[in-house]
Amino acid sequence: MELNRLSLHNFRSYAELELEFPSGLTALRGPNGIGKSNLLEAIGYLSTLKSFRGVPGEAMVARDTSSAVLRADVVDADGRAALIETEITCNGRARTQVNRVRSRRARDVLETFVVSVFSPDDLKLLKQGPSLRRDYCDDVLVAIRPANDLVRADWEKALRQRNAFLKQLRSSARASLPEPEATTLAVWDQKLSEAGDILVSLRESLVARITPAVAEAYRDLGGGSDLVEIRYQRSWKGPLGDALAEGTGDDIRRGVTLRGPHRDELEIRLNGLPARTHASQGEQRCLSLALRLAAHRELTGSRGSPPVLLLDDVFSELDPRRSRALLDSLPQGQTFLSTATMLPDGCEPDLDLRVTNGGAQVREWVP
Amino acid sequence: MSAYADSVQDLIDAFARLPGIGPKSAQRIAFHLLKAEPEESRNLASAVTAARERTRFCERCFNISEETLCSICVDPKRDSDLLCVVEEPRDVVAVERTLEFRGRYHVLGGAIDHLQGVGPEQLRIKELLARVGPEETREVVICTNPNLEGEATALYLNRVLDVPGLIVSQIASGLPVGGDLEYADELTLGRALTGRRLIQGEST
Repeated sequence: MELNRLSLHNFRSYAELELEFPSGLTALRGPNGIGKSNLLEAIGYLSTLKSFRGVPGEAMVARDTSSAVLRADVVDADGRAALIETEITCNGRARTQVNRVRSRRARDVLETFVVSVFSPDDLKLLKQGPSLRRDYCDDVLVAIRPANDLVRADWEKALRQRNAFLKQLRSSARASLPEPEATTLAVWDQKLSEAGDILVSLRESLVARITPAVAEAYRDLGGGSDLVEIRYQRSWKGPLGDALAEGTGDDIRRGVTLRGPHRDELEIRLNGLPARTHASQGEQRCLSLALRLAAHRELTGSRGSPPVLLLDDVFSELDPRRSRALLDSLPQGQTFLSTATMLPDGCEPDLDLRVTNGGAQVREWVP
Repeated sequence: MSAYADSVQDLIDAFARLPGIGPKSAQRIAFHLLKAEPEESRNLASAVTAARERTRFCERCFNISEETLCSICVDPKRDSDLLCVVEEPRDVVAVERTLEFRGRYHVLGGAIDHLQGVGPEQLRIKELLARVGPEETREVVICTNPNLEGEATALYLNRVLDVPGLIVSQIASGLPVGGDLEYADELTLGRALTGRRLIQGEST
């Protein structure tokens, strides 16, 4: 996969920008806060239709303008050229076209253009709660096969309905459920268990596949021969339908569904101990990179060509040895990296750009 | 401060509240009426009022009707033991257009959607259960929409229509006629495969 040309209009700090990229490595250099990440964010948006910084659409529209326009000439995994265009309005709504055909769903774009993002925020995968790790799993599943987005959406819709119904029941709490409430809840238990079973089996097979890949990536990144394990821990036992039925009392009291894929954990262990609580800062950073690298390799294999790689200020947090190891471990493919400091040793960009002038311009780097 | 006279703005607002009409279309319709003969506006107004005043829900099937019972319910040529359950009156029109269904209807008035505050009690399900026995219904065909809310409603109906001897069926979902397999989305095609039908041999 490749990004040949990018043009931005009123996107964050860029009023007007047009750039062409080589198929190898592009380096974006400049001081902090100048707009390097904005460029990477724009490239990422053209794949997933959301910001990898987790901000809403309107935040990406330049101040005092009505909309941002992003346009990219890309080449998909099969070598076909495609034009991806998207307009984000200042109320956060987006319209996207692939080859001039309106696409309503993010997965239409993902069929054509996939990115892998590495950023210092990845450390949160190790340090913070389970929702980020579930999202990691689901995002990889969707990138591998965009139609998996439907599985996630089906589950979320059914869960929202059941939770809305539980809230309604909470206000009329009774020992046993009368009709028609009992049947209604049984219907949602069935719908949730159908959708949940599919989602969890996808997640579990991904975890089984990716665990050796993460361990390998950890070694490649110089993490040594530590034992890396990832365990998918369900928040229930037995069939999901039964667990939901058993938990009815608790669910009604709390007004939310307390068991299911939305409460599951992806536990990462290092040498037999939970990495979240027991691993050092350095080990956690190495593990977070290993998770991203393993996903990137998995995507490279399953999509038949490496996704476009965005390395957002990754090297500032790594020592030279580990930076080198990361660069050596990446599959051959188009790469964009941003840095406020020096490039890692031995890193020779095909295009060396300097972001300057309040982030509004990009010009070729002259040492 | 509106750029239009108050009455014009009121008209535009009234159109814009209708489903499927945005602010631009509302404005366009309003100006069309103002430009056209007064007769056209009078006809529109009286058509709206007449339709609203003359119609009500059929007391049996809750389809829209001008009489106590709708034309389908009083039609003696209709199979009285076959009942098609739909969400809205417009779905009756859709099924009627097929010319494939010769039974009667029951309009639920929506689908289970707790986010919109619609549970089974808000739908005409009690009325459906009250019909099945006295009308000696042989088969209930559930024709709710193939989305989450419609499917949940179908599941609910299947559970409560637990009447000895009654057949409960659900409309199949699959591919559009005249379409190409390769253009079908995988969800629809998957459903069509799951719901495939036997044309030779015995089912296992």
